[in-house]
Amino acid sequence: MKLKITFKREFILGLIVLAFMLFLALTTQFATRNGLFSMMLDVSPTIIGAIALSLVIFTGNIDISAGTILGFVSYTAGELAILGAPIWLFAPAAFLVGVLLSGLNGYISVKFKVPSIVVTLAMNMVHLGFYATFLHNSGWLENLGDNFTWFGRGQVFGIIPFIFIVSIAVAALFIFIMKFSKFGKSVYAVGGNRLAAIYAGINPDITVIKVFLIEGLLLGVAGTLKAVTRSDVLPSSFQGREMTYIAAAIVGGVNIMGGSGKLLGAVFGALLVYLLSTAMIYMGFQDYFQYALQGIIILVAVFITITDFSAWRKKRAAVIAEPERN
Amino acid sequence: MLLVPVEFHLGSERSPMESGKVSVGSEIALRIEGISKSFPGVRALSDMSIDLRRAEVHAICGENGAGKSTLMKIITGVYKPDRGQMKLDDEPLDIKNPNEAYARGIAIIFQETSLFPDLTVLENLFMGHELKKPLVGKLKLISILDYAAMEEKAEEIFGRLGMSVDLDARVSNLGVATKQMVEIAKALTFDSRILILDEPTAALTNKEVDTLFETIRKLKAHGVSMLYISHRLDEIFQIADRVTVIRDGEHIHTEEVAKVTKDELVSWMVGRTLHNLYPKGKAEIGEVIFEARGIVQGPLLKGIDLQLRRGEILGLSGLAGAGRTELSLALCGLSRPDSGQVYIDGKKLHFANYRQAMDHGIVYISEDRQKYGLIVPMSVSENITLPLLRSLSRRMGIIDSHSERRINDEYMERLAIKAPGGDFIVNNLSGGNQQKVSVAKALATTPRILILDEPTRGVDVGAKSEIHRIISTLADEGKSIIMISSDLPEIIGMSDRVIVMKNGLKMGELSRAELSQERILQLAL
Amino acid sequence: MEQPTSKRQRRGGFRITYQLALFVLLVFLVLLFGILQPVFFAPDVLFNVTTIIGEIGIMALAMTFIITTGGIDLSVGYNLQLCAIVFGSVYASNHNVPLAIILSVACGILCGFLNGMIISRTKIPPLVTTLATMSLFRGISMIIAGTNTYSGFPDSFKKISTTYIFDVIPIQFLYFIAFFAIFNLFYSRGRLGRNLKGIGFNENALIFSGINTKRNLLFIYTLSGLMCAIAALIYLGRLSAATTSMGNDLNLQVVTAVVLGGTSIMGGIGSVSGTFIGVLIIGVLRKGFTLINFSGNIFNFTLGVILIVALVVFAWLEERKKNSGKTSKYVA
Repeated sequence: MKLKITFKREFILGLIVLAFMLFLALTTQFATRNGLFSMMLDVSPTIIGAIALSLVIFTGNIDISAGTILGFVSYTAGELAILGAPIWLFAPAAFLVGVLLSGLNGYISVKFKVPSIVVTLAMNMVHLGFYATFLHNSGWLENLGDNFTWFGRGQVFGIIPFIFIVSIAVAALFIFIMKFSKFGKSVYAVGGNRLAAIYAGINPDITVIKVFLIEGLLLGVAGTLKAVTRSDVLPSSFQGREMTYIAAAIVGGVNIMGGSGKLLGAVFGALLVYLLSTAMIYMGFQDYFQYALQGIIILVAVFITITDFSAWRKKRAAVIAEPERN
Repeated sequence: MLLVPVEFHLGSERSPMESGKVSVGSEIALRIEGISKSFPGVRALSDMSIDLRRAEVHAICGENGAGKSTLMKIITGVYKPDRGQMKLDDEPLDIKNPNEAYARGIAIIFQETSLFPDLTVLENLFMGHELKKPLVGKLKLISILDYAAMEEKAEEIFGRLGMSVDLDARVSNLGVATKQMVEIAKALTFDSRILILDEPTAALTNKEVDTLFETIRKLKAHGVSMLYISHRLDEIFQIADRVTVIRDGEHIHTEEVAKVTKDELVSWMVGRTLHNLYPKGKAEIGEVIFEARGIVQGPLLKGIDLQLRRGEILGLSGLAGAGRTELSLALCGLSRPDSGQVYIDGKKLHFANYRQAMDHGIVYISEDRQKYGLIVPMSVSENITLPLLRSLSRRMGIIDSHSERRINDEYMERLAIKAPGGDFIVNNLSGGNQQKVSVAKALATTPRILILDEPTRGVDVGAKSEIHRIISTLADEGKSIIMISSDLPEIIGMSDRVIVMKNGLKMGELSRAELSQERILQLAL
Repeated sequence: MEQPTSKRQRRGGFRITYQLALFVLLVFLVLLFGILQPVFFAPDVLFNVTTIIGEIGIMALAMTFIITTGGIDLSVGYNLQLCAIVFGSVYASNHNVPLAIILSVACGILCGFLNGMIISRTKIPPLVTTLATMSLFRGISMIIAGTNTYSGFPDSFKKISTTYIFDVIPIQFLYFIAFFAIFNLFYSRGRLGRNLKGIGFNENALIFSGINTKRNLLFIYTLSGLMCAIAALIYLGRLSAATTSMGNDLNLQVVTAVVLGGTSIMGGIGSVSGTFIGVLIIGVLRKGFTLINFSGNIFNFTLGVILIVALVVFAWLEERKKNSGKTSKYVA
């Protein structure tokens, strides 16, 4: 029953269109200029975040400290802006912060062979505690001026936000990279069959570290894009954001066990998750429904991906454990 | 000898072929000289020498454990030989890892493990050595994957093999035979000139085997030299040019297939003298206590009948892939057969799980004790009492340590397990003693019927005979034993009766009087 | 070739000395904080430590079981939150304490059962499962509570957590000791403990010994859910308010206590008594931090660092053990 999988991307695309239309029907507000603008504004960082997490998940790892990394990123951007730095200075600095933090996670995980779940679980708390301990006011910045927010609020053709263009560009770039580079293939290989990857001449440890570094860069971009849309920064507000990114990735067809999935799917997943939660808000559900929704989405999506439906159908001899053929 | 007009495609710069004709028997592509390899406690290869001629299909034949697998791992760089050398086209070959082997043009066709199930055929073909082209014009700075070139090469390779495969198909959706083709194609993307096929037909249907042979012939025509490991003699006669028989890590004989008969092969494979180190007790063989009828399962087991009597040792012989383990698992509730019945003392029984079988007195001792038999980081005592925990913890789920110790001591003594005490960690025991712990664990459940799967695999000679003594004693005590073994002398020495399996079918049954290595192999091959 | 028995090879040898070291660390911390703030040495302050770890301790005991099998339960914090919210909302509408308790406990068991069913019946790994149910439980708790905070529980209920035996010993201490004793008994000398360690090392070997590993796994995750419910009640008795942010930090404390206590994240090796000391250490840290005016965030930060360091150290030790003596045949 794997036929379904090849259709999945189109399936999601169709769902999005459907949801979109459902939307337009439900409320007029959405179809307005404002509605579309805020949608593109809100979904841009999620698109990049979904791509970031997807890359990590491809290798068979996970990062549940991504949210708090975003916090550091946004703080760096804001603080430097307050000190007078223009965007072409504070943005790269913020990106760098993302790279370093994520790289640290990757390094600890690879070098000490500690599962990334536990590393990032702990680092998540380290990050949170760091805000409160070492940043003035836990890193809360306010009244950031125009030098900060102009990019975030700017738009093209009166409706398309700059940051949306950036996110689409980044998405396109990475989709291209994954498809057209050796590195892209090696990422899938490491997550799909580590031993075979080694036989193919790929070094899994180095690949994983590279992926974490790239994830950090992407988180840097996502965090900065989000930060510049507001005139205040609160690092801890990003905590837990990674669950949205993970849900987006999984809905987009990324296999939580690693080794397969398409970034384009993750992008659609981001859109879909966004539309779903916005739809729920319009329908009167409070925004914390999204937690429950995310949980269910993840379970269902993972179940579908992992279960071998063909075995169900054949009802073959259920071998509990499979010794070597003799 | 095949003389076939050939289009030169392989692109190997080292040895251009005469255009037009390829014949086996000219140069030597790969030379193995005096290779020896030992592992702790076991000597896998002794002074092995083989040569592989260009465009030859050279079969390597031998029983389980003869050393075929070790030899292949040495050739492909997974192991390093203790002694000896290899030469590729008369140049010394020193391979440090499997990648190097690929780079030098040597490839081994695994069953499936080196493919990426979620990636496409094309991606699998070129993983790690993809073809690239510059992004912009001739600028070498940034290069991207050249799908067109890869597709072209892939199609050309598959065309050479006479197959068409959907390059965008996910490997996990392919059948075993097609996956094998992908592996072969993958090897050819390296311009491999030497291919090793290890039991390639194990999982194939007859039709798929024919297709594979067609492919092999085509490869031959292109000058690829192949080592074909198999013990399926009929196939060897179909496809191979020469055959080498190895036994116990030594080279026995090499001959052209055309000049040899099946019986000769069998005798070379066997040719050892039977030392009588098998203590056979005077067990009284009683009535039938266990019976299986019509066991069918999946693609492998096609309907097996079996009877076991009290006090009997029933040997289950056959080559790897015959289905002996699968049958055993199906008999004791570890897997579910598609159809068939099991009877104990004449009563029809159905085992929903292994626990139920154990409650009826059946016990299975796995051939892979490290993976399925023992918990290696735990102690002897903990392992032995593992199946008994329920009865040892009658009091509120707390384990009665006195009884635990008693059982541990009893079985350690009974089986002469050499360890300073029950707290000793199994990991630190020798192979033989580990196996004894595995047996002790089974015995502690006081079974009536024991299914032993390769009970002396990886066990040194001394412990081997001890285990045999234990088995005989068990039979004398009235227990019934099914013993799976690939060690012919062991099966012949220990069994009262032997059932020979091949491809999931019972090929024959031999009484003790009729037992001989030749008879068994003839049925098994 | 048998090697002579050494302390290393006797299973448990290494762990016992480790727990001793852990205990020394505990004492050291007590002394440290005492020196910084002498009031720390007062008996009621010391015992007060145990009041604040009542919840963590109970959940950590169950978590020890789970991590021993090589799994993990990330949903404990929000499971507790959900149980607390259920209690709060039931009480708020019915003013019936026993009913609220029953439903709250049922909720915890159900949540744990959900985890257990998914983990034992499907191939979804515990990590992903509890990551998802974590979100689920959090969401459901927020849906039920809305923007409410439940409080105003009767004194008779609060007595669960605020009674003092002999006016000095908080009742939570007794809860903790009692649960610890039970868990420790079944873990170190019970069939369940043996099974769990076996699952952590080699689940197949247990299946081939006729042990129903699925049932064991279902049990421990359900048990974890039950412990979350009990912990919720104890927490409520103390804080007397159920909010939708109760569960945020609990996960980290529970996992850190277990890892610190010497239970291996890879499974197979573990210690309930180690967890006990680990929980005490966390309690001492928390109380100590409060006394020297370090905020809760500094506490979390420190805990995170401790967890990372503990993981790295253990992993490094494992690598050393594996690499000694064994030469790898494979190049990969």
